[in-house]
Amino acid sequence: MPDTSPQPRILLTKSFIDSHDRAIATIALALRDAAMEVVLIDYEQPEDVVNVALQEDVDVIGVSFMSGGQVETTQKIFAELQRREVAGLPVVVGGTIRPFDVPPLEAAGVKAIFRGGAPMADVVESFRSLSRAYRGLA
Amino acid sequence: MATKSIEADTGPYAKWQRVVADRYTDRSFVARNRSGVEVDPVYSGLDRDGGEAEMPGQYPYTRGIYPIHYQYQPWMDLQIIGFGLPSQTRERMDLLLQEGGSKGYFGREAYNFIFDMPTSMGYDPDYPGVRGSIGDCGISVCKARDYEVLLDGKDLEKTTVSMVLNAGSPGMLGLYLAAAKRRGFAFDKLGGNVTNYIWDFFGHSGGTNFSPKGSYRLIADIAAYCAKHVPLWNTLTISEHNICEAGATNVQAVAYSIAAIIAVNEECVKLGIALDDVVPRFGFHVRYGENFFEEIAKTRALRRVYAKVNRERFGCKKSSALQARIHAQTAGSLLTVQQPLNNLVRNAYGALSAILSGVNGMTINAYDEALGLPTEEAVTLSLRTSQIIAEETGAVHVSDPMGGSYYVEALTDDIERKVFEIIADIDDRGGLVACIESGWIKQQVSAAAYNWRQEVESGARTMVGVNKYVTDEPEQFKVFQPDPEAARLAIEDLERHRRERDDVRCTAALAALRHAAERVRDGHDIGSVMASLVEAADADATLGEMQAVLHDVFGRNK
Repeated sequence: MPDTSPQPRILLTKSFIDSHDRAIATIALALRDAAMEVVLIDYEQPEDVVNVALQEDVDVIGVSFMSGGQVETTQKIFAELQRREVAGLPVVVGGTIRPFDVPPLEAAGVKAIFRGGAPMADVVESFRSLSRAYRGLA
Repeated sequence: MATKSIEADTGPYAKWQRVVADRYTDRSFVARNRSGVEVDPVYSGLDRDGGEAEMPGQYPYTRGIYPIHYQYQPWMDLQIIGFGLPSQTRERMDLLLQEGGSKGYFGREAYNFIFDMPTSMGYDPDYPGVRGSIGDCGISVCKARDYEVLLDGKDLEKTTVSMVLNAGSPGMLGLYLAAAKRRGFAFDKLGGNVTNYIWDFFGHSGGTNFSPKGSYRLIADIAAYCAKHVPLWNTLTISEHNICEAGATNVQAVAYSIAAIIAVNEECVKLGIALDDVVPRFGFHVRYGENFFEEIAKTRALRRVYAKVNRERFGCKKSSALQARIHAQTAGSLLTVQQPLNNLVRNAYGALSAILSGVNGMTINAYDEALGLPTEEAVTLSLRTSQIIAEETGAVHVSDPMGGSYYVEALTDDIERKVFEIIADIDDRGGLVACIESGWIKQQVSAAAYNWRQEVESGARTMVGVNKYVTDEPEQFKVFQPDPEAARLAIEDLERHRRERDDVRCTAALAALRHAAERVRDGHDIGSVMASLVEAADADATLGEMQAVLHDVFGRNK
């Protein structure tokens, strides 16, 4: 039987003060080719991410980092998710994630971390399964 | 050296000989190889059409911009440097200097500063939402006084300062010049560059910038100001590197770089600026990555196309307006997290291709940059890579050593032809700024990036250690961690600065900046924004305060 469940809706985002957006643009195209609906924004404040996530009714948030702010931004996104009462919305982080960033990111509740060289198939599958789990389809 | 068909007196080789005899008098540039064979500084022959080949230092500069290059003046090693507070970066500068790095031309010291992302975009450390990035991947600088720490005791007339940043570029140049002014240095003796990446909406992109039209207006303003007041300052770096790093092919990246030059030149012409006054201070930043011979050919093609465009399309006459100065950097996007020591080898090959193509400056990335900011050990190894190429390999003995290679010459011609095709396409689409505004150019780059990624995914493109020769063992490498206290210290310092400054003077200077910006936006008094930025910085205005004014007047990209 064909899968008639709705396509995953993904928010991909990067900071307004970050640069080099090759990775996030590439992932947006890969998710699109995997028939997901993708919203791609540059956020000004971490609160904006949650705002757009709610407006667009997405089921996974992916945040990419190149040049700093990895931990602080992610923690703020989780705090805002809690405040807006959508604490269960999964967050995935990618990019230049250094060893010392990992423990606080995991403590914050990040579901997956992807660094440079991660196979795209794994990235796509991770978004798909997190989306299905969030919608209770898993 | 000469082949029999070379014309004795009037051909390129004879001209080159006369120039060399003139310029370098009786100095010999003949080297000797391991077997005792004398090696000439450059070799000549026939070109692909059977005519006598162009020589280095001759229009259109395919073979290099100098008649004698590294044999006379080695490339400038400009490793990227910057993290934490100015005082912390200063410690790393002193280390590099002690290790034989930081060498500028003719005995000068040279530093290539990178700023943290808030600074790079023109935001102060206390701007909402930036705290986690302060000092994290570059230096935090927001006031003229910060340069007094960073460059304490340095003779700025003998120090070349390169500043790598995005939308914060105009204000940053203001801070540096104000600091130099306070220390009594004459502006016409100051050398250095600001990358001024505000031209770039499709390479080093993401993040905030001015509106595309506002950006190109500001570039013209800075160029006009510096031509008059800071004549040795390089006001614009067109980064072919960043366009490649965003995923563009070499041909696209060269074409888009030239398209950016065309857009800047057209803006200058529109404002009545004489191109021969400003173009000599534009330069390039080029990436050296995975296609060894293509990297060499693209460099040669870039120099040729640049010379032709500036002479034939814009009527530039000064030779310095036709010569593409190139700062090379090895490819950051090829650095892998997996088996990071492999990156040492990748960087060395990238650097060698840059040297064989005759670049003027060099940044060799550190092997551990995919993991985080480089450690001291990794930075030192990058410098050693450059030193080994320069002083052990003999690669520096002959200019344009690939010249005349059937392969490289054919590739060079091919890239040139394709670049001109893309430029014609961009012209048809209304020029680069229109292509930025429509999103077309960004789409082109992203599509190329995705294509590249798919080649890696499918295995069609090998990345050693990533999709082939993969090892399972987790590898433990030391990763540099910037000072987590930097943010608190930077914010405290900024608060103290705001308390102690003369507020009346600062407010007036910011008002004058707004007035100048409005005039320049409307096409008058070009150069007065940069002049007002220097005045405002000298009146202790911060980078973020100046940026707020510029954003108001010149608009934002988003």
